[in-house]
Formats: sequence, structure tokens, C-alpha cells
Amino acid sequence: MAIINIQDLVKDYDTNGIAVRALRNVVLTVEKGEFTAIAGPSGSGKTTLLNIIGGLDSPTSGTVHVVGKDLAVLSPKGLSDMRLEKIGFIFQAYNLIPVLTALENVEYILLLQGTGKEERRGRAMRILEEVGLGKEINRRPKELSGGQQQRVAVARAIVSEPELVLADEPTANLDQKTGAGLLDLMHELNHRKNITFIFSTHDRMVMDYAERLISLTDGIIVSDEKKKSRREGAVITKPKKMKSKR
Amino acid sequence: MNHGKKPLIEAVLAWRNVWKNKRRTVLTLLTIMVGSAMVILFMSLQEGAYDVIIENAVSANSGHIQIHEKGFWEFRSIDYALIPDKRVINALKADPSIAGYTERVHAAGLVANEEASEIVFIQGVDPEMEKRVSSLHKAIRKGGRFLKPGDATQIVIGQTLAENLGVKVGDTLSIISQGFDGSIAGLRDLSIVGIFKCGNPEYDRYLILMPLGRAVETFAMGKYITSIAVRIHEGSLMPEVRERLKNAIHDDRLEIMGWDDLMPEIMQYVVFDRASAYIFYFVLYITVAFGVLNTIQMSVFERTREFGIMLAIGTRPGRILSMVVIESLFICIIGIILGALAGSALSYYFIVSPIDYTEYQKELEVWGFITLTKVPAKLAFSYIIETSLVVFITSMLFTIIPARRAARLKPVEAIRKL
Ligand SMILES: Nc1ncnc2c1ncn2[C@@H]1O[C@H](COP(=O)(O)OP(=O)(O)OP(=O)(O)O)[C@@H](O)[C@H]1O
Ligand SMILES: [Mg+2]
Repeated sequence: MAIINIQDLVKDYDTNGIAVRALRNVVLTVEKGEFTAIAGPSGSGKTTLLNIIGGLDSPTSGTVHVVGKDLAVLSPKGLSDMRLEKIGFIFQAYNLIPVLTALENVEYILLLQGTGKEERRGRAMRILEEVGLGKEINRRPKELSGGQQQRVAVARAIVSEPELVLADEPTANLDQKTGAGLLDLMHELNHRKNITFIFSTHDRMVMDYAERLISLTDGIIVSDEKKKSRREGAVITKPKKMKSKR
Repeated sequence: MNHGKKPLIEAVLAWRNVWKNKRRTVLTLLTIMVGSAMVILFMSLQEGAYDVIIENAVSANSGHIQIHEKGFWEFRSIDYALIPDKRVINALKADPSIAGYTERVHAAGLVANEEASEIVFIQGVDPEMEKRVSSLHKAIRKGGRFLKPGDATQIVIGQTLAENLGVKVGDTLSIISQGFDGSIAGLRDLSIVGIFKCGNPEYDRYLILMPLGRAVETFAMGKYITSIAVRIHEGSLMPEVRERLKNAIHDDRLEIMGWDDLMPEIMQYVVFDRASAYIFYFVLYITVAFGVLNTIQMSVFERTREFGIMLAIGTRPGRILSMVVIESLFICIIGIILGALAGSALSYYFIVSPIDYTEYQKELEVWGFITLTKVPAKLAFSYIIETSLVVFITSMLFTIIPARRAARLKPVEAIRKL
């Protein structure tokens, strides 16, 4: 079953009496395990679409099903709990709670979910090691570089093994090389843990990583293609091999 | 999955956020501390002053409690009199809180010499018993003396009265009044042995003391007297002692009055002064609460995006609310403890080294305060509790505003703010 099913989605914003149509009749299905990019110029509706999928914003019309649930029937609490249990979020920057260490930021999700202390700590440490921050676990966000902060955000998004990770321009604040590293990491996690990733971007390089590329213009999906990821086979298999060697 | 409440994380987040902006937190703590310390200090000074004022007023003449026939205090007439029988005297002697009592005869009259005449209050007293209740004997000016046992035609008068009549120690006066039986009571050749200045303008202006025996005789009182004044060791116990005496004496014809009813103007002054002080405290409380509100508001405002992200990743709004409330709780509790300590320390200083009002004696007399000299502060645990509670409650009430604002943020809008 599709992890996301969107029918005739319309989203209007009202700015001082003037209606702005951010999404026009969007129809979209995403299957489990996809690694999808939503591309488009600024103002095309990428953020709006991701926010609606994540239950952070509500459609003007149309239906949105995420992990089998019709978002329209969920209460605010229900939406909040769905986000906690089923979805991981990565934002452009400043994702983390400043007064918590990297480890605590990752643990935070598990804590909200009610996971016991031992398990929480263990899982958070393991994930941070996986994202390459095994040495930085006790640093606060301001003691980490932008790239490291985004890696912690990725770790937090996947630590509870959600069905879906939504990332709104996760690399926009990073330089080319750091951004590429982050995408490698996300792609690897996508393959290894079969976590569905949807990320938005207007960066060519980032689009190249996607296995499916959805292009938005003025709130309309103008193209939707399955393709090969640029790095497929190269980076992804590497950790697997290393693991099997041990 | 288990969504069991884990309040600890809110407390941890709150505590760390409290110290994130140390300067701001320290300033807020200072505001709370100075505010509550000031209220505690002023309360102590004020209550200490009330005690002295009451004690002075009480010891000048009236005593803490007065026993008289019903109607006497209203009409101040010699027509209302009582016989100090065994039941009354035994009740007074039996109560360990009572320091002394004295029997008196009061009458209004006219005093005259060759030059002038004045309306006066005549008070017949037993010199020895009187000393245990009132302090007039301590207020006798140089060159004179208080009444003593064996005196008969000797009198003591107030300084203002002496000035108005143009008399001095050694001079004589005549008094005309009305006796218990309705007869005219006249006394001639009363010799002034002492002039007192107690600081209470009323007493200094109108009061004449004469020996009790002589007064009883002059006013044809027989076995009767008009009142018994009672002094208590510990002034604050007055209401209890009054109750005990009422129960022990149990006589409907008698009235047992506390100083608050005897001198309602003093009680009124205290009540009024306390009320005006509360206006000042109210301003302080509100200032403190606004300080807390401002800090929490700033702290919430700065973290708009942070809260947006927390909400987005599945933090329930209630947790955000408790986090902000706990943050304020930490600040308030620390501030209040510091304030209580500082307030107590300051009050203690003024208990040990009382404020000396001797210099302002002239001005104070105008207001009817008798001999306020050294006024120690008085610190009660209740002042600290009251102040801390009010500061706590107002500050926490004010915290609700930004806390609710934080909890009601829309994640989409909050996250857009960088
Ligand atoms: N809260 C809002 N109120 C009014 N208009 C909005 C609001 N949010 C988005 N819009 C409008 O909706 C349209 C889509 O905005 P959206 O943020 O989804 O675009 P985007 O593709 O994410 O752009 P960017 O690449 O700049 O992030 C734009 O025209 C924008 O001005
Ligand atoms: Mg956007």
C-alpha cells in the first residue's frame, strides 16, 4: 500500500484578502522505500506540500492519506502523535534544541515515545555513530558545524525508525561537499532501513541523488520521473560490504 | 506505544534554559529578591512601629484592658460606677499574663486659680498600683514628683494645663465637679507636687491626677470606683486575656474593653497606615511580576523557531506549556528564597539596631504620638510567608500569558521565523 496518497490537493493562502494558490490539484502517490526529491523554483509550493504531508498544515481541499490515515479526520493531538510515531522531520537549519547535547537531541524523540532510559541511550548512540558523530555526542548544537548539526537532525529523524522522513531543503545551508555527504548518508539509510525519504530542493546536485524526481511549478506537478540515483551502487554498497567483512 | 508522562525532560529543559541567558536571569532574580526583601523589611519596620505606638499609648494611661460599668466609656460620667468585688479582683490576680491593675475614679471638672479656669479630667489613682499600669510617673518633669501613699491634697497635672493656668510646682488649684450623688463637689487648696509631660497632647492638656482615697471622698463614691485599668506582660496577648477575664468575671453590667476599643483612633491609624502600605506593596508586587513576565516573554520569543520544531516533531503543546511554567517556577522560587533571606537579614538588622526617632519628636507629637524614641523592627514568619506567596502567585499568573502563547504556536509559522 502507498505510504502517501494525495488526491486533488489544493492549498490557498490568504494574504490580506488576496488568495494565493500554493498548490493546484496535486495528485501524488509515494510507495514505501522511495527516495524522492521535490524540485522547483522558489515559491513553487515545495514547503507547502511537505508541510501538508507532515500534518503541519491543512489542505484547502482534497484528501491526504499518510501511512494509511486520512489526515483530515485526525485531531491536533492525533496529528501530533502521528508525527512523533510515524514521521521524521529535517528542516533547512537550526533543527536542534540548543540546550540539549547531540545525544540528548536524538534521545528526545525516544523519550517522547516513552522508551526506557537504557534502550534510549543505546539507540541514540548507535545512530549517532552511524551518522559519523560518535565522538561528538556530548556537544551542544552551537559546538557543532552546520553539517554536523544536520547529521544530528538526520539521526533524530530516523532514530525511532519512522515510516517516512520529510526533509525541507536539508542541504540548503551547507556547502556542496557537506551537502553531498549528507545526501549519501540519507540515501544509505534509505536503502539499509527501507525508510521512505522525501526531500525538497532547487539544487541540481541534490536532484541527481533522487530515485524519483517530482518537479513543481506554481503549485502544479509538471513532471514526475523515476530515475537512477547518481551515486547508486557506489556509496551505498560500501558500508554493507564493510559490515559483511566483519 | 507508551506515552507515559515524563515530566523530567521539561524540568531539565527549563533548568538549562533558565541559565542560557545568565545575565537576564540574574537581573530577574535581583528584581524578585529586591522586591520581596523590600516588602518584608517595610512590613517589619511598620509592624515594629505599630507595636511601639500601641505600647506607648497603652502605657501612657489606659492600660491594655479596662473594666468599667456599661455606659461609662460612652458617657465618661461618674454615674456609671462599679464595686471592685472579690470575683473581679480574684480574676485579675489569678491571671498570670497580667502585670498589674489599678483602680481609678474618673470625673470631669473645672479647675481654676485666680487667673484662669480650664476644663479637666480628674483621675483618682492609687500611687503604688498606678505605677504598675501606667508610665505617667516616669514623665514627671524635673523639680516635681509623682503622687505617693499618704498624699491627700496633692495633685499632679499635665504640662500644657500648667502653662495654660500659669502655674508651677508648689502652687495651689481649686476644682469644682459633680459628685456621685449629684451634689456639687468642690476642692480647694490642692497643691501641685508634679507636672508631667507624656507627649500625648490630650493628657498633657486635660489630665489631673489625685489620690484615689481623696477622689472617692470628694465625689461621694462610697465603695464605688469608675474603672480598673489592667496591664499585660505581653501586649499581643490582649485579646486572649480579655476573653479570659470576660469568662471569669461574667457580669453583664460590666464592660471589659481592650485598648483597641478604648482608643479606636490608634487602631484606625494602624489600619489606615497598613492599608496605604499595601498600595505600595501592590506596586512592588506588580513590578516584580512584570519583571518575570518580561523575562519569560523574551525567552519565549527568542525560541519561537525552537518551539515550532519541537511541536513539529511531535511534542504536545501541553509539554511546551509546562516547560515554560517550570522555567518561571525555577526563577521565582530562587528569587523568593533570596528575597526572604535578604528581607529577614535587613529586618534583623533593624531589630538589633532600632531606628531612633528622638530627633523627630517635635513633629511626631503633632500627630499625637507619645515619646517615640527607639523603634525596633518586628519580624514574623508570617510576613515572609505572605510576601513570598503573593510574589509567587502574581508572578506565576503573569507567566501563564507567554506560556500559553508558546504552546499555541503554529509550527509552520514558528519554523518560518529564523
Ligand atoms: N503562510 C503563508 N501565507 C501566505 N502565503 C504563503 C504562505 N506560505 C507560503 N505562501 C505562498 O505559497 C506559495 C508557495 O510557497 P512555498 O513556501 O511552499 O514555496 P517553496 O517552493 O517552498 O519556496 P522556497 O524554495 O522559497 O522555499 C508562495 O507563493 C508563497 O508566497
Ligand atoms: Mg520552501
